[in-house]
Formats: sequence, C-alpha cells, structure tokens
Amino acid sequence: MTHKPTIDHPVDHVRVLMEEFKRSGIATLHLRAGGFELLLSNDANAPSLSGGQRAVAAPVPAAPAPLAAPVATPVPAATAPSSVPANAVIIAAPNLGTFYRAPKPGAAPYVEIGGSISVGDEICLIEVMKLFTGVKADRAGTVVAILAEDGAMVESGQPLFALVAG
Amino acid sequence: MAIKRLFIANRGEIALRIVRAAQALNMETVLAVSDADRDSAAARLVDRTVVLGPAQAARSYLDPRLVVHAAKASGCDGLHPGYGFLSERAILPRLCAANGIAFVGPEPDVIESLGDKIQARGMARAAGVPLVPGCDGVATAADARREGDKIGYPVLLKAAAGGGGRGMVIAHNGDEAEAGFHRASAEAVAAFGDGTLFMERFVPEARHVEVQLMGDGKGQVVHFGERDCSVQRRYQKLIEEAPCTAMPDHLRKQLHESACALAASVNYRNAGTCEFLFDVKRQEFYFIEVNARIQVEHPVSEMISGFDLVQEQLRIAGGAGLSVTQDQVSLTGHAIECRINAEDPARDFLPSPGRITRWSPPQGEGIRLDSHMSEGAMIPPFYDSMIGKLIVHAPTRDAAIDRLDAALADFRVEGIATTIGLHREIIAHPDFRANRIHTRWLEQVLLAERKGAAA
Repeated sequence: MTHKPTIDHPVDHVRVLMEEFKRSGIATLHLRAGGFELLLSNDANAPSLSGGQRAVAAPVPAAPAPLAAPVATPVPAATAPSSVPANAVIIAAPNLGTFYRAPKPGAAPYVEIGGSISVGDEICLIEVMKLFTGVKADRAGTVVAILAEDGAMVESGQPLFALVAG
Repeated sequence: MAIKRLFIANRGEIALRIVRAAQALNMETVLAVSDADRDSAAARLVDRTVVLGPAQAARSYLDPRLVVHAAKASGCDGLHPGYGFLSERAILPRLCAANGIAFVGPEPDVIESLGDKIQARGMARAAGVPLVPGCDGVATAADARREGDKIGYPVLLKAAAGGGGRGMVIAHNGDEAEAGFHRASAEAVAAFGDGTLFMERFVPEARHVEVQLMGDGKGQVVHFGERDCSVQRRYQKLIEEAPCTAMPDHLRKQLHESACALAASVNYRNAGTCEFLFDVKRQEFYFIEVNARIQVEHPVSEMISGFDLVQEQLRIAGGAGLSVTQDQVSLTGHAIECRINAEDPARDFLPSPGRITRWSPPQGEGIRLDSHMSEGAMIPPFYDSMIGKLIVHAPTRDAAIDRLDAALADFRVEGIATTIGLHREIIAHPDFRANRIHTRWLEQVLLAERKGAAA
C-alpha cells in the first residue's frame, strides 16, 4: 500500500510559506520553531542560518556580486580580531571550501566560543562540491574566537578558530 | 553571453597571459593559487585571488571539485583552464556546466574522444586525415614480410596486446621483418600470452608539425598556420617556429585542410592543435593527436598572424562566433620561440628552483617575452621548470634566428641555472640554420656532440 502524503508534511508548509513570502514582497523572513529554522531572503548576501545551511528564495542575481577588494592573503596575527589574545593559536582551513560549524543543518555547532576541544576532535566541516570533510583539531585548548562565518567560502590557510591553552 | 568574471585555473606565465587577455576584454578576474603562488605576478594583477590548498598540485590545481567550487563561490561565470593541470580532463567542463560556468575550451565529450588514441585515430580516418601506414594483425612471419613490403621499410613491429616498448623491433627489409617477427612474437607471447603483432611504418627522421585551430562549435573552423616543433628532448619541446619552412606549399595546404576537416567533423569549439609527424624524406605527413587546449607555443602563431588567440578563446566561450574568416587570416614573416627553463643542461637538465637575483630580459623590435618572473621572484620546486618563453618575429627565418641570437645574448638571469645558453648553442648549430633537424636531432646530434666535447 502506498503511503498517502499528508497535508501536514513539513515540506508543504515550507512551500506555502515560500509562496506567501514571494507575494508579500518582504526582504527577509527568519523563522525559528523548536529545532526547525528557516531563512527566506531576497538578498543573496543575507546572514546565514545558525545551523549552517542557507536557503535563498530569490534567484542568483544576473550580475555577479562585487568582488572583495584586496588580494586575500590572511596572516593570522593581522586578520584576527582584537578580541583574540596574543597568546592564542590558530586552526586554519586545510583547503578551500564552504565552512560549516555544525555537522548538519539545524544541529548544534561542533563547538562554541568558550568551549574546550581536544586534539582529534571534529570542529567543523569544509564542503567542496557537496563533499563534506570533517576538520579535526590538531591542538587542544579553549576556543576564544571563531574567525570565519558559517556557510562562507574559506580559503586554504584562512584562520577558522583561535584557541588558548587550558 | 559574454563572460563577466573569469576564473583562471592555472599558474605561471599562462595565468598571467590569460589575465591580461581577460582584462583587455574588460572582464573581472579571479585567480586560483596554491599556497606557494600567493605572491605570483598574476596574483598581483587580478581583482582577487583564492587560495585553493597547499603547494602540492594534487591538493590544489589538480582537484577539479576544488577548482569549480572556488569559481562558483567567487561568483565567476567563466573558467579558463590554461594548459597542463586539468585542461584536458573532461570532468572540469562537466562540473562547470553543472554549475552554470562557461568553460573556455571544447565540449567534454569532444575532449574525451580526442583524448582516447584509438577513438581519435578513428575520427581522423573518417575525416580523411592521413595516418601512419600500418597493419593491426600480423600473425605469421610471412604476414610480416608481405605487410612490410606493402607499407615500406623501415617498419616497427610491436605487440598488439601491450605497450611499454617490450617486444618492439625495427626491420629495414623483408628478411629483417621475418626474423623480427619471430623475436617480437616470442617476446609478446611471453609478456602478454598473445603473439599477434602490430606493424607500422617507422620514420627515423621525422619533424613534428602542428596546426593551430579555432572552432566555433558549430562546424566552422579557421586555422592560424602551422608550427614546427622538432627541437625536442625526451618528447618535450624546446624550440618552436612558424611557419614550417621545411614543408613545401602544396603539402602545407593539405596539412591545413586535414586539420580543419578533422576539427570540423567533431564541431570543435575553441582553441585546439592538430599534431602531425612529417616524414621529410617521403614528403608525407601523418596524424598524431589533437591537443584540446591552448598550447605553450601558441605565441609563434600569434606573431605571424597578428591575432590574439587567448582573447578569441574568451570571446568564443562567451558565446560569440569566430571573429575572423579564413581569408582574413594572413600570415607574415617568421617567428621562433625558446622555452626558457630553470634547468641546468650541464647537469643533465637538473631542475634549478630558487630565487632569481637578477632578471634582465631583452627588449626591442620583434621581441616578445611571456614570463611571470622578475628580480627577487621565487621559483618553487613543486611545478614545472619553465620560467618564460622568448619569442622573436622577423621577415624571414634567417633574420629571426639572428634576432633570437641577439635577444638571447642580452638575456641576463642570475641566481638559478637556465637553458638560455643551450638555446644559443642550438640556434648557432649549422643543422639548425640549414633546417636539417628532426625530433631526435637534439639528443642524437647536439647533446651527443656536447658530451663528446666534455669527455
């Protein structure tokens, strides 16, 4: 016997919401209910979800977004915000890709500021063409800063986490 | 739609060459770099660089997913692969297509079929392009003599089942063909369990001649003349010239027509090169392969045609048709290119990476330098050793050789070993001046003489 799709399927709710969103003309809709989170936006540069995945309702603009001006050559000490203490060590991206702080959309991030990590702990994901690779900590400590934005492209060697010992 | 923002998935001089072509067409540029290339000349020129990964090419320039991810994430709508690295891997244009990025090159299916030697030979045969005369199934010694007589000696006998040079025999007459059959067949049985042999004409003194093509993807193809790349060491080209003055006009015309016919038969899109082996003694040419990309030596064709091939590549990838017809392509004078490598010819061409402490290239009329080097530049040990291409153009071959010699004499590089001195020796050799060279000339004649002189 085939399963009859019920009207209560969450995808149907999202579909209805998307229709309403399109009709309304509002710029951004951010909905959070229990473990469920949804972001609808007409702005491709809208802030991403806390869980990592991003839904952009509007089509990708025909003209590419302006380029970040300078040649990005991140030097940890220079780019790290001032809140990073001088004795902090940096964990950097092993290769280019999309940085995700949580193992899957809607899940809690691997680690938050103030959390402590041990060597070998998985601390984030780097996605390259739908292939998600876990990044493991190569040093232990307490996270004092998270230096890349969830869902953003990070380059090889770009600082991701700042840690202090203990 | 014309490309607005181009991703350059390469390094070295060709990355710089592509960036300049893109900027001339008012495109924005994003350059992929590895950790070792963050400060390259091209990186200083582009609107943005993205660091793909560590210096090892396998984890940066050679990872198609990484490259296309970076192109997409940086908002690029076109991707130029350059030469080498991923340029002839069909997966790259496939990933580009799946991500809405225009690939600057042929269709992936065309890259794939031309990349397969057997398929490519079949396509050439179908288009009426001459192949090396040969025979696939030589099963007995009598067969070997009969086929050898038909093909014309010398012939090469090799195992049909395998490669790697095992069981390869060269025969200069019918008796040698029979004796050679027994030897090669026995070796083939031992190595592959199958004694069937393959025979083809052996050309001891061949020239490497190739035709520069540009196609619109709809069956229109124009050529920009041929190049002679017969100065080679271990199948690596060192000097390329255009035109091939060793080839008479009626053969040249057939060569161009063959190359265009093959490209048109597969609706070839963008830049490509059809390579041939030219048997000077017999005055015949045979198909080798098609290179489905822009080549290192494209500047000699640009010099004699006055046409920018890389800009044309970018326009075609953006959906434009060919910007010239065949009768608008006019070829004048003679151009020669030397590949300058960071290698030490005195130490068996040992790579010589390091920092350049002096870089003083020649300048003047008819001199072009395609290079990413400068004083203080670092040649990393991870990639190929080419540091630049010196190209000269003059009204005749003799005048071009003179100009090249003067330019090489003016070229001062310190801090690393280079092949500049060797290039002067090559072009000063009477065989080069008289154009009596072939693909094994450098190793068999010049380098052998050098070794003899040193001993």
